[in-house]
Amino acid sequence: MDLDNAFNGSLEEVFSKLKRSVWVFHLNTGSCNGCDIEVLDVLTPYFDVERFGIKLVGSPRHADLMLLTGPVTLKTLSKVLKAIKAMPRPRLVLVLGSCGVGGGIWFNTYSTLGGYSGLEEVLKEAGVEVDKVVYVPGCPVRPEAIIYGVAVLLGLLQPKVRHRRVMAVEG
Amino acid sequence: MSRGFSHVEDLKGVPRGPRSDAVLSRVLSACGDSILNVSRRGTTIRVALKAECFRKAVESIYSEHDLYFRTMAASDERLKDGVYKLYYVLGIDGEGTNVVLEVPAPEGVEISTVSDLFRASDWYELEAKDLFGINFSGRSLRRLVLPEDWPENLYPLRKDISADEIKSLYQPQMISQIAELGVEEVVRVPIGPYHPALHEPEYFELYVRGEKVVDARYVGFMVHRGIEKLAESMKYDQVPFLAERICGICGFVHSTSYVQAVEEALGIEVPERAQFVRSIVLEVERLHSHLLWIGVALHLLGYDTGFMHAWRIREKIMVLAELLTGSRKTYGINLVGGVKKDVNQDKVPKVREVLEQLKKEFSEFVGIAISVPQVMARLRGTGLLPRGEARAYALVGPTVRGSGLARDVRKDYTYAAYHYVSFKVPVYSEGDNLARTLVRVDEVFESISIIEQLLDMLPGGSVMAEGWETQPMKLGIGAVEAPRGEVIHVVVTGDYSPYRWRVRAPTYQNLQAVPTMLRGVDLADAPLTIASIDPCFSCTDRALIINLRSGSVKAVPIEVISRRGVRSG
Repeated sequence: MDLDNAFNGSLEEVFSKLKRSVWVFHLNTGSCNGCDIEVLDVLTPYFDVERFGIKLVGSPRHADLMLLTGPVTLKTLSKVLKAIKAMPRPRLVLVLGSCGVGGGIWFNTYSTLGGYSGLEEVLKEAGVEVDKVVYVPGCPVRPEAIIYGVAVLLGLLQPKVRHRRVMAVEG
Repeated sequence: MSRGFSHVEDLKGVPRGPRSDAVLSRVLSACGDSILNVSRRGTTIRVALKAECFRKAVESIYSEHDLYFRTMAASDERLKDGVYKLYYVLGIDGEGTNVVLEVPAPEGVEISTVSDLFRASDWYELEAKDLFGINFSGRSLRRLVLPEDWPENLYPLRKDISADEIKSLYQPQMISQIAELGVEEVVRVPIGPYHPALHEPEYFELYVRGEKVVDARYVGFMVHRGIEKLAESMKYDQVPFLAERICGICGFVHSTSYVQAVEEALGIEVPERAQFVRSIVLEVERLHSHLLWIGVALHLLGYDTGFMHAWRIREKIMVLAELLTGSRKTYGINLVGGVKKDVNQDKVPKVREVLEQLKKEFSEFVGIAISVPQVMARLRGTGLLPRGEARAYALVGPTVRGSGLARDVRKDYTYAAYHYVSFKVPVYSEGDNLARTLVRVDEVFESISIIEQLLDMLPGGSVMAEGWETQPMKLGIGAVEAPRGEVIHVVVTGDYSPYRWRVRAPTYQNLQAVPTMLRGVDLADAPLTIASIDPCFSCTDRALIINLRSGSVKAVPIEVISRRGVRSG
């Protein structure tokens, strides 16, 4: 099946169904583990997001939503690309943590892409479409913020701020 | 020293131990005129010697029973001295002293390998080759840290190349990236080197015969982010925040190691209260990390009830961290010379209350979880690591303490406020997964007791040293007992920022022993065995199984192996 073109409905329609349950796949693109343990925290008894129908799955093929942490290191790039490509449309991405959002403290190192903005360009180049992205900053992200982010993504809550890309100017 | 080394500084009046003297005199007599300089500051003896004599010096001392290869830092000092330098840090356990062998390596000169003598130095040499282009003779060199398609002769940590130049010279080829690790032929469904239960992207290849693992290979450094280069462009007080982001689980140990190394190099006196605050936060970090490990270990055994309960209890420690530092994780309170944030006395009673609850809930939980017969059966006798091997690989942390060696930086090379408190170093001699688990369980109780003692004794005063000056080209070593073992940072100071900063995490040392632990275990026990060194919970991700009998190759998420094993290739 051609996954890239299988989706031609509207996102609203999809979200009305997803409200019942969202399956997520967690992808670490070279993060320090800080956000990743908070993701685990969200899934375990204290925050327990399974009560909202949010469930972690073992393959991107089963996932509605991808949780992306880390600044995207060059060594993980190919695997990240393949994992995102393997998701069925509509592809939803929740970018977690300062590194994922803008590269964080690593934005200018020689071995990372500087977070999702760098990855976005590679995705475009490779012709992989992503239908909706929501950014959750924080170092590491707080568990409450992750849950809020999912709700924003599904249109249940309003985002706190809008994202705007600022380009650095040489000199 | 009455050996007639006129170039040896007068060592009179400096505290010395009998063991470090013995080691020093062996090196001096093995090398004679090849010794360039000997100096001593605090607990560190620094011996500069010519490259041609380096191997001879190591041969004369490597079999000393209490000598332990702690780390090696390569540094590009061509701008200062015209050569690269290698700093081999050898610790003497029990005495708390370091012998640093400083080997100048002129451009193009090969250094004799010592990886056959100090087995732990294998990766350090490969890394020096990858990042600096220093060649070692007498061994095979392969790429370890950098990607396979990295250009030849591009060495990122050399001083004459900037991060921007590196970026312009290296454009990763997407296609060759995908071909990396041969993933394309192996997997049809791209489950990637990724796995749902957290874990960083790391990768093991296990070679199996039937259900038994016969060998293992580690393919790592997926998370190489170029941190050491980055630090060279940062000021002294910015680096602690960078250091803390090396690891999101045990970040505070890295920032503490870094500031201790700078403080040692520049001779900065840290106020007592700051030392106490550091120790308290370090122990809080150990608590959450051990709870995390116990949870994930039970998860790998398929005992998810235990996993969930461990994480439920762990949430209390996150509250504790927030009470003490204001953040759940990545506390950001370390600075060179002290800490930025004091403990709020109003919150101390609440902290004690949480500690009480924690002690009660944890002992109840562990009593049940560990005694589940299936858990016991999977832990006992699996992943054996004999004491001799543990010593030879210079292993650290709960891994080595599970094999009968009481190596603990908090006792051996004491730092922060640990000399004020009384605590036990739990040691088990069986060397199996159970021993390593029990070490961690005991350490949770010790850590709770340490925090309580420190809170009782918390002295008054400032938490920040008053003003300090930088001096270039001083060497400092900072070591901290992280939850996974010793973290050691070597800093060579510069004018405004560290000239060279070398980070060595415990997993770097411990991973090299994993193939030994895996040999002969059932495939189903491999995931827990890999996890038993607590590889920053990064490395347990996924394995590639190569069946020697049928020759077939198959990639399987590691968790699946632990549940059902693999019937056939």
